[in-house]
Amino acid sequence: MNRRASLLPWGLLFPTIAILSIFVIYPAIQSLILSFQDVEPLSKRSFFIGFENYEVLLKSPDYWQSARVTGSFLLLTVIPSLVISLTIAVFLDANPFFQNGFRTLFLLPVAISSSMAAMLWIFIYNPTAGFLNYFLDVLGIHGPNWLADPDTALIAVAISTVWKELGFNIIFFLAGLSAIPNELKEAAELDGANGWQIFRNVTLPLLSPTLFFVSLVSVINSLQSFGQIHILTTGGPMGETTTLVYNLYRDAFVKFRTGLASSEAVVLFTLIMIATTIQFRLAKKRVHYG
Amino acid sequence: MASVEIQKVRKCFGETEVLKEVSLSIREGEFVVLVGPSGCGKSTLLRMVAGLELPTSGTISIDSKVVNTVPPKSRGVAMVFQNYALYPHMTVRDNLSFGLKLAHVPPSEIEKRVKEAAEVLGLVKHLEKKPGQLSGGQKQRVAMGRAMVRQPKVFLFDEPLSNLDAQLRVKMRTEISHLHRRLHATSIYVTHDQVEAMTLADRIAVMNQGQLEQVGNPLELYQNPRTRFVASFIGTPSMNFVEGELLYLIKAPHGVVSAGFRPENTFLKQGKVSLGQGQVVLVEPLGSIAYIHISLKGNYLVSEMKGHDWPEIGSTTEVFIDDSKVFYFDSQGKRI
Repeated sequence: MNRRASLLPWGLLFPTIAILSIFVIYPAIQSLILSFQDVEPLSKRSFFIGFENYEVLLKSPDYWQSARVTGSFLLLTVIPSLVISLTIAVFLDANPFFQNGFRTLFLLPVAISSSMAAMLWIFIYNPTAGFLNYFLDVLGIHGPNWLADPDTALIAVAISTVWKELGFNIIFFLAGLSAIPNELKEAAELDGANGWQIFRNVTLPLLSPTLFFVSLVSVINSLQSFGQIHILTTGGPMGETTTLVYNLYRDAFVKFRTGLASSEAVVLFTLIMIATTIQFRLAKKRVHYG
Repeated sequence: MASVEIQKVRKCFGETEVLKEVSLSIREGEFVVLVGPSGCGKSTLLRMVAGLELPTSGTISIDSKVVNTVPPKSRGVAMVFQNYALYPHMTVRDNLSFGLKLAHVPPSEIEKRVKEAAEVLGLVKHLEKKPGQLSGGQKQRVAMGRAMVRQPKVFLFDEPLSNLDAQLRVKMRTEISHLHRRLHATSIYVTHDQVEAMTLADRIAVMNQGQLEQVGNPLELYQNPRTRFVASFIGTPSMNFVEGELLYLIKAPHGVVSAGFRPENTFLKQGKVSLGQGQVVLVEPLGSIAYIHISLKGNYLVSEMKGHDWPEIGSTTEVFIDDSKVFYFDSQGKRI
C-alpha cells in the first residue's frame, strides 16, 4: 500500500475526529480536571483541591434530593413511555388502516422543539385557564395547580416528557414489529397460542433488540432532561423537579460554582455509564438477535 | 386421522375473487397435492383449511364437522410453512414442545413425543441448537417435527421444499413420502412444482385461476388430461402443442383448435405420422436421454431422444408423432 492510500482513511476520519475532539473529548477532559479544582468565577483563577468538590456534593442534602428526584423522574418517564408507545405500536401494527395518519400524529411532538412543547404544556397545566383542569372540572374533579404543587409538579413534567418522546419510540417499535414475519405469529396461532401468548412468547422476544435500544435511549434522555424542566418549573416547587442535570445547570450557570458543577457532570456521566452497562448485561440474557 | 370436505368455497380479497366455488373431498389418510401456477389460489385454500383465512362463502369440514368459524388451534391441524416459521429465539426442543406446553400436555408426555419426533427426523443431536445454527434441510425437519408432535388430524404443507436446493429437495421429498407411509396422516400439500406433486401425491388437484381444473391420481392426470392447461402443466418437459396447418396433417377432428402430444411421443428418425421438416434450435443432453428443441412451421416442439445420436443445432430434421397418443382441445381448452 502506498503512502497516499494509507493516509486516505485518516483523511476521511479527520473531520469526525476533529469535531469530536473539540466539542466532546476536550470538554469532557476539562470537566474532569475542573472537578478537582476550585474555580473563582470572576478572576477565573483555579486551585487544585483534590476530592473536595465530591465531598461537598455527597454531603449536600440538595444534591441527594436531586438524585431522588432523578430516580423518580426516570421511573415516571421511561416505564410509561415504553409501555404506552409499545401498546400504540402493537395496535397500529395490527391495524394498518390507522398507521399512516396516527404515525404522523404521534410523531408531531418529536418535531416540535422542547421549549415550544413546554410552552404548550404551560397552557394545558394552567390552574385557572388550562385545558386539563377545565376537563377535570367538567368531570366534577377539582384539579390541582399542577406545576406549583410539590405533589404533582414532577408528574406533570414527566407527562409532558412522555408525550414528547412517544412518537420517537412508536416509530422504532413499528419498524421492529414490521420486521417480525407474520408466519411466526400464524405458526404460534396454529400451535394454540392466544393473542397474549403470541405477544409474550413470539412478538416480545423478537422485538427485544428494538426494546433494548429504545429503553437505552429513553434512560439516557430521561437522565439528561433539561429544557422542559427549565421552562415548566425551573426546578421547583421546593426542588421537587430539580434533577441532577438541573442541579448541575444551577451550580454552573446561576451560582457559578464551576468546579462543583464539573464534579456533578462526572458523577452524572458515571451514573449513565453504570445504567447503560446494567442494560447491556441484562440484554445479553434477554435480547434475541434472531 | 380425518377426512376433509371443501364445499363450494369462494374467497374474495376486496373486489378480487381468488377462489371460485372450489369443492374437493379428501379421504382419511390420503395425501392430496394442490398444484398450480403462482397466484392460482392454492395457498389461500390451504390457509382456509388451517383457519388462517375465512372463506367468503362455502364450507370447510374436518371429520364431517364444519370448521368455518373454529379457530386454528381447535381444528386439529398442523402446518409446515414455506419459510419454516421456526421461532428463532427458541431451541429446537422448545420449538417442538411449544404447542404441547400451551396445550398443557404433561411434561413426561412432551418429552416422549419430542424424543420420538427427533429420532424419526434425525434431530436428536440438534435439540439444544437454535434455528440459526441449522442448515435448510434441518430447519425443514424441525418444522415437520413441530407438526408431528402435535399429532394432528390433518397435516398441511405450504410449499415446504421451495427454499431448499435441488439436491436437498429430492432428499426431503423422499423423507416426506416415507413419513406419510409411516404415519398415514391425512395431508394436503401445496406446491407449484409438478414433479413434487407427481412423486408425493395419492391424488393431485390441479388449480388454475381460482378453480379446480382436474383431480385425479398422478398417472391419470398424465395420461388423461381433461384440459389443455392440465396437459401443459403436468409432465416435464411440457406437452407439445400444435395449431394451424399441422392439424390437417394429424387429421384432427372437427372443432379442434390445438393438438398436444408428449415429448416422448415425438420422434425424429421414424414414426407413424410425419409433421414435416423442422430446424433443431437447442439440444439439452441429460445423460441417458436428451431433449431436442425443434422449430417447425411456427410451432415449438420438444422431442425426448434416447441414446447419444443427437442432431446438430441448426440442422434440419423430420419430425414424427404417434397419432394414437395425440390429445385434441377445443377453443375453450377442453379436451375433445
